[in-house]
Amino acid sequence: MNRLRQNTLPPLVAGGCALLIWYGIRWTTHLGPFLLPLPHEILEAAWRERHTLAEATAFTFAAAFLGFVAAAGIGFLLSLFLSWSVAFRRALMPFVLALQMTPVIILTPFLVLWMRQGLAPVVTITFIICFFPVVANTTFGFTAVDRNLVDLFQVCGASRFDELLRLRVPSALPHYLTALRIAASLAPIGAVTGDFLAGSAENSIGGLGFMTITYFAEAKTAELLAAGLTACLMGFIFVGGVHLLHWWALHAWHDSARRAE
Amino acid sequence: MGTASFVRLRNVSKSFGAVPALEAIDLEVQRGDFVSLIGPSGCGKSTLLRMIAGIAPPSAGAIQVEGQPPEAVRRDMFFVFQDATLLPWRRVASNVGLPLELRREAPERRRERVREMLDLVDLLPAADKYPWQLSGGMRMRASLARALSIAPRILLMDEPFGSLDEMSRDRLNEDLLALRERAPFTAFFVTHSVAEAVFLSNRIVVLSPSPGRIAARIEVPFPYPRRGELREDPQFLGLLAQTTAALRSVRPAPR
Repeated sequence: MNRLRQNTLPPLVAGGCALLIWYGIRWTTHLGPFLLPLPHEILEAAWRERHTLAEATAFTFAAAFLGFVAAAGIGFLLSLFLSWSVAFRRALMPFVLALQMTPVIILTPFLVLWMRQGLAPVVTITFIICFFPVVANTTFGFTAVDRNLVDLFQVCGASRFDELLRLRVPSALPHYLTALRIAASLAPIGAVTGDFLAGSAENSIGGLGFMTITYFAEAKTAELLAAGLTACLMGFIFVGGVHLLHWWALHAWHDSARRAE
Repeated sequence: MGTASFVRLRNVSKSFGAVPALEAIDLEVQRGDFVSLIGPSGCGKSTLLRMIAGIAPPSAGAIQVEGQPPEAVRRDMFFVFQDATLLPWRRVASNVGLPLELRREAPERRRERVREMLDLVDLLPAADKYPWQLSGGMRMRASLARALSIAPRILLMDEPFGSLDEMSRDRLNEDLLALRERAPFTAFFVTHSVAEAVFLSNRIVVLSPSPGRIAARIEVPFPYPRRGELREDPQFLGLLAQTTAALRSVRPAPR
């Protein structure tokens, strides 16, 4: 009970203060509902637009999820490949970095030209945004294995495959899961951005990023923030899910997931 | 084989780049010997051990186990490291079973053998715990159980009890000798502790540093099995003094 109070009270107080300031600014300045919608106006807008927002959120969630899963899967395999030899790392790492350094905005026209607007380019943009942290962390995890344990496997006469499966993969797991946590926080942003840049309302109403354009064009700022609120909630669900996975996989043995004795 | 040595090192040298680590090591070890390697830091004791284990090749000279290179008899050897080197994501039983797992031993046979080994080192109640839940001494016992699971003919130990307090160390020394009565192996044991070397071994090799050379060989005549009371024996204390003196003579000059 005490613990619960310790955990929930501070954010409630901080949130309350933020709301007071928010309303305070509206009451004491000339900013109207168009320039600064109030929280209850945003909630009203969200309720009015619930069907549209639900559909847009479903699209964005699907895009974020697919991009995330692709980055998690392909990132894992590429890291495995990169960890195999120093030559591979030297050969490919600059290009992985280059992909990260290139602004997605510049790639977007090509993605749209190749795949047309819609889910495919949005997923690809999410993938590009999530990919690098997965590769960087996981490759590090695969290569930073305790030397003594490598010796142990050598003494046991283990094959390279056994060493990979029974030593390198489990050693890298905490790094991989940390990478997934970072990727999970990037995926919803990637999906909304991707949708903003390459989304389409051709077959449906589009995702949250596309709705942003629509609402802004219609000067519906409360609805705009309602879309932002939905994206934010989606991000929490996404990150929460991966945190749960992280805890589930590591809590029995890894320091990071264990409470201090 | 007859009178031929079990393990033979002939004129073995090892250098790392231009830096010589070990020079002209000649050593003949009989089956059942317990050989302690003792010397100041940087005398190449651990390197010597790794070469006998076949995980580091000598730069010159030859190491033979029953006339074969160490790599050829790797299945009969096991190494106990300074740290317990347990895999943190595996429970104790599964850690102890790792070498047999890597040898594709059948699961039932493996489970049986793991239980037997855990029983031997008094760790059966901890079989389902993770390494972090064990004390340092228990972790080391798990490491020993893992090493003994393959019934090694040669056990190479690199300061296995170096990080333990003296009481745990004495206890584990006695346990180690008791284990050897039940599952005989030839032992190479690297240590910094003179008391440990005298208590455990029948032969002590004192190494001098930079580069490592054999400075003295001391025979320890006490028969096995040895008990803890041996530590108070005047003859034991005499050998302790003799070994300490040998070690002091190879100590690098104070700067």
